[in-house]
Amino acid sequence: MGDERTDEALMLAYAEGDLIAFETLYRRHRGMLYRFLMRSLRHRADTDELFQETWSRLVAARERYRPDAKFTTWLLQIAHNLVIDRFRRQRPQASPEETETVLRDLDAPESEQPDHALSEFEQRRRLQLALEELPEEQRIAFLLRVEGGLGLDEIGAITGAGRETVKSRLRYALARIRARFSS
Amino acid sequence: MTTSRDRDQDLNRLLDDDGGEFGTLYRRLPRAEPPRRLDRAVLGNAARAVHGQTPYRHRWVVGFGSVAGVVLAAGIAWHVGQDALRQQSLNESGTGAAVVIPVQPITSTKHRHTTDAMKVDSTALAPMPAEPEPTAKAAKPQIMAPQVRAKSESVPPMPRPTPPPAAPMATPAPFPVAPTQSTNAPPAADAARGRAGDSTRAAPAQTAELREQSAPTRMRGSGAPAPSSSLELRRDMQLAPDDWLAHIRQLLHQDRRQQATESLRLFHATHPQHPLPADLQGLLE
Repeated sequence: MGDERTDEALMLAYAEGDLIAFETLYRRHRGMLYRFLMRSLRHRADTDELFQETWSRLVAARERYRPDAKFTTWLLQIAHNLVIDRFRRQRPQASPEETETVLRDLDAPESEQPDHALSEFEQRRRLQLALEELPEEQRIAFLLRVEGGLGLDEIGAITGAGRETVKSRLRYALARIRARFSS
Repeated sequence: MTTSRDRDQDLNRLLDDDGGEFGTLYRRLPRAEPPRRLDRAVLGNAARAVHGQTPYRHRWVVGFGSVAGVVLAAGIAWHVGQDALRQQSLNESGTGAAVVIPVQPITSTKHRHTTDAMKVDSTALAPMPAEPEPTAKAAKPQIMAPQVRAKSESVPPMPRPTPPPAAPMATPAPFPVAPTQSTNAPPAADAARGRAGDSTRAAPAQTAELREQSAPTRMRGSGAPAPSSSLELRRDMQLAPDDWLAHIRQLLHQDRRQQATESLRLFHATHPQHPLPADLQGLLE
């Protein structure tokens, strides 16, 4: 039986000392956060470090949490800030080849069929390469949308950009991806 | 070439619930999950944060509980000490009360030959009525007196009991209480018992209080000093009538008027037919 409480209610419960609420919350969002960090940083060690740091900051700020926004927005806001800080400190970033190696090591879906797998694999590889080639702002906007499920306003709140700016970043990101698939 | 219209369509599809073409393709990418060591680290950190908070909140409770425990223990120890001291004082006063031999009605002297020395000692003496009363109770000692005298003549003198340590001679014996006073005393005693609360502990104190209340009441009227010891009175009973009267005179000569008065009353109760000398009749008035 899963916990039917919302993310916000679980976070408030954890702020009151309910550890079970935190475990439920963590179970819900651990994968999403990890993938967002992985595809943003393209480095597993950094991803592990920032993944742990994101949750640590959330734990430390639990008593200041106010359910004014979605919990995922707050969680990705913390992660995004850490990613930006890491980008500023760590340049140059990992090469696309290094990222592809990391992503290839991850488990593939078990339902892949051999004849269809090549096509699927090629599509995923192209998408991964396209994401690697995206500028940071466009990649983060795209990841916040497809991984975090956030809307334009929420992405703008996290990244500090206006709604139209977010739309513009997403348009350019989609154009680059489509160009990668057309090549 | 992608046109502006195509980009808007891609954006609109991306913003759909399913994420459009690229959203669907993205979800087919490998679903990376954090390793278990990260799960343990994160959950452990969250638990430590919560548990680290709990002891801080409970620290005040623990401190308060410790202080309360110490205070409680000190209170119990103090009460135990007080009870011990109170019990000790009661035992001491109880011992003192025990060595004071209460004067019992003379009718009970018939038991003295069948009981041990201490019981005889405590029941040997008969109270002398303070004032002659025409009641049956007042007349009863006089009726029993010949029996006592007969027994005292036929039975050899009783062995003298070992005097109780220290107190008997030093502590004034309780004054014989007249039957009328005995009937009046219990209400006062009951009142005193009610005030005391604990009848077990208050009993010796009430006895002493009753003694103090009754004797001075009588002495206040006669202006007599403290009553003499019942042991001495019992010794007087061993004397022959003339010797007893001589002993009473000796007591008067020694300025022990109260003891002489008590002894004379006892003499008169024991030997009602014996005429009282004129020089001693004033003691009974």
